[in-house]
Amino acid sequence: MKKQLGFLVDARRCIGCFTCAMACKNQYHQPPGLVWRYVHPLKEEVFPHRERAFLTLACNHCERPTCLEVCPVSAYTKRSEDGVVVHHQKKCIGCGNCIRSCPYGAPKYNPALKKAEKCSLCWQRLDDGLKPACVQGCPTGAIDLIDTATFDAPDTLQYIAGFPRFPNLNPSIRFRPPRQPLEIRR
Amino acid sequence: MEKWTHEMVEQALQCPVSRRKFIKGLMAAGALMAVPGGLLRSTASAAGFADEEIVYGGPYKVFRNACPRNCYDTCSIKTFVKDGMVHFIEGAPESTYTDGGLCVKGYSYWRQTYSPDRIKYPMRQEGRASGNWKRISWDEALTTIAKKMLALKEKDGSLLGLGLTKYSGNFGITNYGVEGMMSSLGYTTRFVGTPCWPAGIDAQNYDMGDMWCNDPEDMVHSNYIIVWGGNPAWCSVHSMKYIYEAQERGAKLLVIDPVYTQTAAKADVYWQPKTGEDGALALGMARHIVDKNMVDRNFVNAHGEGFDAFETYLKKEVTLEWASEKCGIPADEIAKAAEEFARAKPATIWIGYGLQRHVNGGVSVRAIDALVAMTGNVGKVGGGARYGHLRTWGFNYNALVQKQPKGSVGFGGKSGPKGEFDFAKGETKFSDRTVNINQTARAILTTTDPPVRMLWVSCKNPFSQDFDLNQMKKAFKQLETVVVVDKFFTKTAEYADIVLPVTTNFEEWTVNVSYWHYWLGINEQAIKPMYESKSNIEIAAALSKKINELSPGACTYPTQIDTKAWMEKEFNTGIHDFFGIDSWKDLRKGPRKAKLPSSAAWSDGKFKTPSGKYEFYSKLAAEHGHDGLPKYKSNRKPTAPFRLLTPHSKFNIHSQFQHLDVMEDFNPEPYVYIHPASAAEKGIADGDRVRVFNKVGELKIKARLTDNVPRDVLLMYEAWFNKKDFNVQNLVDDTPADMGLFKTGAPGVAIHDQFADVTRA
Repeated sequence: MKKQLGFLVDARRCIGCFTCAMACKNQYHQPPGLVWRYVHPLKEEVFPHRERAFLTLACNHCERPTCLEVCPVSAYTKRSEDGVVVHHQKKCIGCGNCIRSCPYGAPKYNPALKKAEKCSLCWQRLDDGLKPACVQGCPTGAIDLIDTATFDAPDTLQYIAGFPRFPNLNPSIRFRPPRQPLEIRR
Repeated sequence: MEKWTHEMVEQALQCPVSRRKFIKGLMAAGALMAVPGGLLRSTASAAGFADEEIVYGGPYKVFRNACPRNCYDTCSIKTFVKDGMVHFIEGAPESTYTDGGLCVKGYSYWRQTYSPDRIKYPMRQEGRASGNWKRISWDEALTTIAKKMLALKEKDGSLLGLGLTKYSGNFGITNYGVEGMMSSLGYTTRFVGTPCWPAGIDAQNYDMGDMWCNDPEDMVHSNYIIVWGGNPAWCSVHSMKYIYEAQERGAKLLVIDPVYTQTAAKADVYWQPKTGEDGALALGMARHIVDKNMVDRNFVNAHGEGFDAFETYLKKEVTLEWASEKCGIPADEIAKAAEEFARAKPATIWIGYGLQRHVNGGVSVRAIDALVAMTGNVGKVGGGARYGHLRTWGFNYNALVQKQPKGSVGFGGKSGPKGEFDFAKGETKFSDRTVNINQTARAILTTTDPPVRMLWVSCKNPFSQDFDLNQMKKAFKQLETVVVVDKFFTKTAEYADIVLPVTTNFEEWTVNVSYWHYWLGINEQAIKPMYESKSNIEIAAALSKKINELSPGACTYPTQIDTKAWMEKEFNTGIHDFFGIDSWKDLRKGPRKAKLPSSAAWSDGKFKTPSGKYEFYSKLAAEHGHDGLPKYKSNRKPTAPFRLLTPHSKFNIHSQFQHLDVMEDFNPEPYVYIHPASAAEKGIADGDRVRVFNKVGELKIKARLTDNVPRDVLLMYEAWFNKKDFNVQNLVDDTPADMGLFKTGAPGVAIHDQFADVTRA
């Protein structure tokens, strides 16, 4: 199978600390109001206590990315060697097609540049032999870089409760669900 | 298959605001012009930062830094500098504790350093809280300050009218030069003690003769971990990996907290006891361990003092049922956990600082210490009553230890310790006048002969962190001059006459250690100070120069200092040997860990108490007016229907970080958290604006409903939100905790023994 890099999001280890999201901003200095990665609290139907279990999400570097399909100027490419979906800002005309089309909301509009931008999976860091900024930054090992073509940890899944299901896109992401303690309350 | 719409996805993923709407709103408000992409991100370059032009391997100059905030983790940082600017930072991979990653606060340093909101030059405010700030030169600022100091010395015959309030804003060792600056001027008034952890410090000193914890990295060896009244998942994120590793090995994690914290959500078992009844719970467990004959008799016989008295007390006055009644946890659960804990060896308890912020906090820590000791877990790898330590803090305190000018007049007699970090030797004929830092407003209002006329504030933000805000405003009115040294226009700066811009940790030389882990890190000057900022010790030198010009001999502080040389002066053979280095320069290769004979504190069983043993009965405690035994002590009586808790958030260290615009991307506004059942009784819906009030003051804020808080609790995370009128100190009074005076010079403060009511606003 063809190599496809993506994220393993381990909600069991995740403490919702937002380190990954800020590590991204430390690396790319997105202006205030613009984030590539966000740590989403799970709804109470999924985890019964508010803001105590999370999914950290950015671009899912889909197998069949919508952004790439709808871009009129081919500002998106998918790297053949690892499947990373790259947005080329030089080519981008800021039409917003990708922003409107991506069901996961990965591309964002940068009003200062009048262009789109999104998680690059730190491909330049990868090419330098480094981990993505979010993966390196995580203090609990709750996010990791995996090859979804070969990854098969048994207690993980592609579509976790609370994560929208788009099989046509085949998002390159896997999740490990959160656990709950035995609770003794008054 | 379910068909997802864009809106459904946004809802499913709980997007805080629709980004596009948000950006549009910003554009409409012209806010994007006001907050340009930052000094770092070139908006002119179409390439931006997201395209091919970034090379991560270089060419960067890499510096070693340390995070100097008041945090367990005290991370070692690698800083990547190009063209004289910090481009990004990383956690130092050489430290197994920091392990290559920082936290949400640490990764916002790029924005803190280059924030458009920084105090850029000395400024004078025409009318306090008027916001009418005028830029002035350093010369003008220092002349005004120096003349005022000389004038009050002339008037009072001493400098006791000059007060210093400073605490934990920057723990870089050279920053103790602020205290040094005060000493080099004469004897002054010092706000001493700590709002943080003093009751527990005294407790551990009574029990063991010092506050000393195992290396947190050895929690991986624990078979049973209790995290009690602390929330490492927010306040010590780097410790979680050790807890996880222990859990993966089969260890049980029990989290005891009135709040269902993020750490609780990671536990095997979570207990929600009544707030402030931790002592009863610990004593109940102790009684059951006695009944089950599970006491480690070898330990208590060989290394314990007064265990018989403790056992007699337990048998006479404590039962499981009584403990259960007091704390609200079922007796059979207490019994089961007590047995598991006693059997698990090694078992450990992480004693959080939250649980000692009560009128019975110190004695509760003593009861928990006793539980760890009687099961033979003190002095064991993977065991221990973990609270904190100062074992790695053996610096020279060159910046701190300064001589008063000849003929200085001060307070008659000797003062007590000026806080937990006071490593200076006692003074002789005169001393500084010490007042309680936890009653700052009260102290200013009641101190006479002379009154506190002038206040120097550095590494501290009393209007955000000290208690009873209305009193504080009154107290500040009485001050003739207020000087605030800071990076930002804080709530305290609002009430200043003069602000002086101070450097960030990237702009100064210093050295840092932790009160939790055992790593030592150098903090290099990675970039030139931004704008006109100066480090605290450079400010001291500049003030000394000015004051000596006006009155030769009035200040003994050097008038010219090299901050790098002053960092070097903090090192000594003791530090070199303990960390296995020949010179501080070795730290340029990365942080170093102390060479510990054992990862366990007290592994040799020799305690620093008067008896040399673990003192279940402490004569010293009795002499200090406490009970000799860790006997149950009642909590504070409620003064309003709800208990008010104001603990730490994950997005800030006290009043630092949350005010940054990039932090608002992730945590845009404060809330009061209410249990849904209690909110329903009050007719409060999620998102409603409510009024929280008590005898101290009031606050209007949005409500968020969650069963993470108990029914009888209102919870707000203390923080400074820039440009938002939110301050939990509107509602918190200055009632003391039971302990703290012995080792820190003032009792702690019962931050979590506060009460309030709530209505719809």
